[in-house]
Formats: sequence, C-alpha cells, structure tokens
Amino acid sequence: MADQPTCTCGQNEKKRIIFPCAGQANTGQIANLAAVELTEEGFGSTACVALLATGAEGVVKNAKNADEVVVIDGCPMSCAKKIAEAQGIPADQHLVVTDLGVAKGPSKAYTDDDIETVVEAAWEGRGKTENKSAPEEKKPGNGNCGCGCGGKC
Amino acid sequence: MKIEILGTGCMKCKRLAKNVEKAVAELGVTAEIEKVEDITAIVDRGVMLTPALIVDGELKVSGRVADVAEIKEILQGGN
Repeated sequence: MADQPTCTCGQNEKKRIIFPCAGQANTGQIANLAAVELTEEGFGSTACVALLATGAEGVVKNAKNADEVVVIDGCPMSCAKKIAEAQGIPADQHLVVTDLGVAKGPSKAYTDDDIETVVEAAWEGRGKTENKSAPEEKKPGNGNCGCGCGGKC
Repeated sequence: MKIEILGTGCMKCKRLAKNVEKAVAELGVTAEIEKVEDITAIVDRGVMLTPALIVDGELKVSGRVADVAEIKEILQGGN
C-alpha cells in the first residue's frame, strides 16, 4: 500500500494566541468556548487571561512572540483587552460577543450557534484592528498541521 | 472570474470556503466558485499546502485561511 500523503494543511497559518475573557455571564462563557473551538480548529492557541493579569513572564513572552494576538471579550467592558494592554500587549483582533448579536444575560444559557458565531467571526478577521502582512510561506514539513484533522486531511 | 478552493475537506478548508463566499457576496461580483477536494487534482495544480486559493488560474494563498478582507483585496486585483 502506498504511503499516505503528508498532512500539509495550515502550515502557513499565523501563530496566534487567543485570550478569552471567560467572564461569568453567558457571553463570557461563550468567549471561552469559542476560544477552545478555535484552538481545536487550528486557528491559534488559547491562553489564560487571568494568568496574563498576574504578569506571568511565560505567557507575556508568548503573546509578544505571536504573529497575532486575538482577544475575545464577552461584553463592551472589554476586560480581557484592558488586561492585555496593561501588559503591553495590544490586540491585533478584538471581538466582543455582544457586538456579534448575542445578548448578555440574564440567563447563563447559550447555544452552539452562539459559539459558532464567534468562531466564524474570528476566522473572517472581523475584529481586526490593523492589517499585518501575511506570514512567510513555508514549505511542506512534518505534518504537524494543527488543523484538527488528526493527520487525516 | 473563476475561484478555486483547494483542500481535502478539513475544517480549515471549509473556513476558507466560507470566507470566499462572504467576500464574493460583499463585493457583489460574479464568480464561479469550485471546491477541489480530490488530492490528485490538488497536486496536479502544483499545490502542496492546503487550504489554497486559486483565482483565474493563479495561486494566491496556500497553507492557510485568508480572512475576508484579504480575499476581497485579492479579488479586486490588489494582491
């Protein structure tokens, strides 16, 4: 049987770090779940905004080394964005869940469609605050595509 | 305008397809959009990294999901 082709999808993807606010309202929880879904889809890696608030050296360094910092806030209070900025990390893309048509509270309930709305907006780049040049194109490599395909794509 | 989206059907390929459809709709241009999922057909086009975007036969993006703004720029001939 012939070898399977090496999985090469997404190898030129930007290195993104995602900070969801993970607030207690439904919108904060949606922000968190959207960040998890985006990580599973290979968009970037989610990181803890509470840890960032402590000024932890590792997460600050990772954020500063990222090609794109994506901040997902649940509401216009924009707590996660303020935390990131306080650590000298401006958001390249800032999404606010309530701006995407999801009402905040009073219920804690949310749907899969609410999460998909945020995930789709991130992939579309709807929260871009500035245009950055595309990352350098890479050659086919080791198959660590990170696209969530499990090496099957 | 002919737009080809190359990818074997993983989530990133689907995201690129959605972004292309949105960009086309926002620009209001007429375009034929074709999804190429067969790996042999993808390789035959010289594409080794997916997802990829080909516009009128020219490879524009490879190995990543372009966002809507970038795709609109490409379709307007700016890239």
